[in-house]
Amino acid sequence: MSIATDVLDPVVEALRHVLRDDQVLTAKTDRYNRARVPAPFPVHRWAERVPDLAVLPESTEEVAEVVRIANRFHVPIVPRDGGTGLTDGAVPLRGGIVVDVKRMNRIHEIDLDNRTCTVGTGISMLKLNEELARHGLIYPDDPASYPCSLVGGRIGTSGWSLIGSRYGHTRDLVLSFDHVLPTGEVMHVGDGVGGKVSKSSSGYQLKHLFMGHQGTLGIATRATLKLFPKPEAEFSPFFAFSDYDSAYACVGALARAGVATFAGAVLFDEWKVAYLRRDDEAYIPQPADVRALVCAVLYGYEDEVRAGGRRLMRIAREHGARYLGDEISEGDWAARHDRYATPLHGRTKAGQVVPMSWHCEDAAINYTNLPAVRREWHAIIADLRRRTDVFDDWGMFAYTSGSTGVDYLTEIDVGIWEQRLDDRAWEMWVKAKRDIAAVALKHGGSISACHGSCREGEVDLVPDELGRGFGVMLDIKRTLDPENIMNPGKYLLDRAYGEGGRP
Amino acid sequence: MTETRPGGEPGTDALQHPHTPGMRTGTDPAGPPQDVIVAPPHIPVRDERTREFVEQWRNAAYNCYSSGHKFCREVCPVMQVTRNESWTPTAFHANVVAMEKGELDIADIAADYVNCTQCGACELRCPNTLFTGDFYRFRTRTVDVVKAVRALAVDSGVHQPGWRRWNLLTDERTHEPVLGETPVDQEHVRDWAEGLDLPIGGETVLFVDCEAAFYRTAVPRAVAQILKAAGVEFGLMSEQWCCGGPAAEMGYVEQAERFARHNLADWRSVGAKRVLVLDPHDYITFTEDYPKYFGDDYDIEVVLVVELLAQLIREGRLTPEVPVERTITYHDPCRLNKRKGIWQEPREILRAIPGLVFNDVDRVTQWSYCSGGGGGLPVEKPELTAAISANRLDKAAALEVDTLVSACPWSERPLSEAGDGRDIDVVDIHELLAESLGIAVGGSRGEVGDRRGGGCGGGTCGGGSCGGGADVRGPGEEEDQ
Repeated sequence: MSIATDVLDPVVEALRHVLRDDQVLTAKTDRYNRARVPAPFPVHRWAERVPDLAVLPESTEEVAEVVRIANRFHVPIVPRDGGTGLTDGAVPLRGGIVVDVKRMNRIHEIDLDNRTCTVGTGISMLKLNEELARHGLIYPDDPASYPCSLVGGRIGTSGWSLIGSRYGHTRDLVLSFDHVLPTGEVMHVGDGVGGKVSKSSSGYQLKHLFMGHQGTLGIATRATLKLFPKPEAEFSPFFAFSDYDSAYACVGALARAGVATFAGAVLFDEWKVAYLRRDDEAYIPQPADVRALVCAVLYGYEDEVRAGGRRLMRIAREHGARYLGDEISEGDWAARHDRYATPLHGRTKAGQVVPMSWHCEDAAINYTNLPAVRREWHAIIADLRRRTDVFDDWGMFAYTSGSTGVDYLTEIDVGIWEQRLDDRAWEMWVKAKRDIAAVALKHGGSISACHGSCREGEVDLVPDELGRGFGVMLDIKRTLDPENIMNPGKYLLDRAYGEGGRP
Repeated sequence: MTETRPGGEPGTDALQHPHTPGMRTGTDPAGPPQDVIVAPPHIPVRDERTREFVEQWRNAAYNCYSSGHKFCREVCPVMQVTRNESWTPTAFHANVVAMEKGELDIADIAADYVNCTQCGACELRCPNTLFTGDFYRFRTRTVDVVKAVRALAVDSGVHQPGWRRWNLLTDERTHEPVLGETPVDQEHVRDWAEGLDLPIGGETVLFVDCEAAFYRTAVPRAVAQILKAAGVEFGLMSEQWCCGGPAAEMGYVEQAERFARHNLADWRSVGAKRVLVLDPHDYITFTEDYPKYFGDDYDIEVVLVVELLAQLIREGRLTPEVPVERTITYHDPCRLNKRKGIWQEPREILRAIPGLVFNDVDRVTQWSYCSGGGGGLPVEKPELTAAISANRLDKAAALEVDTLVSACPWSERPLSEAGDGRDIDVVDIHELLAESLGIAVGGSRGEVGDRRGGGCGGGTCGGGSCGGGADVRGPGEEEDQ
């Protein structure tokens, strides 16, 4: 969908009054590449999701001006940061203007005494930490896309961190931020007054409202973040098991142990181990009787990590774990960001290697429900697999979300042969996503712990999950975005407006 | 307890059997498909050239496209300075996917592909290369994709004005117009060697790239004198043309091959079996492009001078003894470190030079560094080259060095320009080694760069006005040609 020329031309003209020529991009490649996100897209319908133009603002004021113009002309506007999100938050559904914040990547301040830094939201965690390392500090937000996802996208999706059990997730690490509302007003939002305050009881707790909205409530432009001492020591033991049940029991015990330096634990199931073996054990060169894995991670000062590590090693051994040794453990943990994206692991049923896209469905699931959810999710993918070579089961991870092990980010990874995806297969996939979300809800979980839940399929169940809360979302959306310009079509929020999502 | 056997025999219940299809005895426990739902491949591209291109590159492009994460982005030197996602390595692959879908054509995309120095950082940082490359013999080849798109553009009559002019002049002069209006041609290609008494021909010949032959003549002079000091016998070509690599990089393939044919014929005519190369770009051209052009007929051994010098030092045939009192860091040229995995030998040489304080940076960290001087970028977008070089000098400045050492003549002009403002001298590794061997090099280090009191590295030019002299221009400053 795109905007008619007679509307677009005056929009471009207005934008050129507030931005330089190199900040307003209208070429086809500029537009196509700003519709693209991790797969599956669906790529065969790429053209439906292309924006009319993209802008590259360099300040909060410029973002605000762009939003005001969009509001004046009733043109959709979609924020885009790293574009690594798995729920299509950054994908335009109605054309319009993509606001790409990658040029807002400055470090404005590093406050060594209060242990904070203030950055443009277009900076990646990797680049930020390269600078912070000089001061012996770290911003410990660690998504799978760590090297290329940006702080602003982390805010917009309320991202999840691999080491969140020690340091918290994005919502805990971002103290406050400048945020451009859908009308173009600029506010600063945090706890209470915002700024560098980490806990306030003053007023409504608005910070969370403006995190995880997938760009439907505005654009974060400048954020103040909590910093920690760069860990002196890291310990990341990988433990092997001959069966899933023992590994499951072990990961729970590790998480419940209450070790202060515990930063997270991950459980790989049999399908994941089999998947990793597809390149002839290049990842995990282990005997065939290794069928499930647990990885625990500790960060801190050397003396405390050593002590905590000893305790976790003892617990793991009591649960039948076999320690995989320092080399494999450190290597595999160091590869944690890269291992996700391996299209060449895709296989047809006959075993032919075909380039498949990694797709991952995630949910927040309580520990006790992990085995049941795992069984039902694999059954859903097995059904797809029975019907077509387009899909492939790449196994499951479960990651601790908090230090006590109450719930887990639970994900199933699915290989999708996008080159051969068509409308029929796509519909099968959308239905599978709906079924996967339904399983999560049935077991008392939440549809997403990590990515958000606004893609086709899972989004249909969001009103079921939230109940009256979804009605509140609609009320808020209508109030803050009276013209429905901000990322329209997402999260079923068009229901806040009249026919066709128009006010 | 669930009994599972990865890669094992199929069972009746898919849930009992995680599997690795096609591996060993493994078959799919889900059984044969009930209904094959796989869309047939469809490429709605009519233009024959484009279709051929798409068919060649579509799977490689999908391997990037499907990877989803874009880790290449933050190591891409162009992306670092422009923050424009249209000009990222992953976009270069995605465009091919869009071409396959009939959404974009060569005229839509050609100009974007200017924005690449062909440094290769993206290839190394790609998870496909890192994790599965060895096993599947698949490495992400963004540099080749960029070259192929540029060639398709030229074949399709879509030209970038700067590149077209540059290659036209190169064709006329048989050398790149690195000095602007100042003549560069056969008559001057050996001027750098004045007074060195070098023979023509022989079993081993030295090839000197256009930038070093005409602009930074101190580099080949240093190389030639060091080799002589070590007793290495070598001669010069009878008639040396540009290697053709830049033309190939910008898409002018026919011209590139023509130049290659000429040079190979020249080597053969003087009885050369071995070519010494001091420039990393030439090294790529001779070891990657030429073998593609000539196949099994290509019988020339290509030797990189930096590797040879490290060997000579190791064997005791060269002993740097004159202390060089500088605090340096080393710039890994992209085409050595990232493209060829050559990073140890330059460090060996530098560590052998007495007096140096060497603040090294890990070679992997240097994946995200580039001078911006490659891939024809300075010809079309000198401002981007300058910004990338400025970035590189920022990193050097943070190490509190007075000198940045490179091993690539093409990097040295933009790096020197950026170093001027920061009081950091940019010296070629060969110049530095010559100085430590007590060799007075002579020649020119070009018009830019630090010229602090004690002379300029291996060169003895002093004020920088020696050598080429009049009207020395950067490769991007040839607007009036």
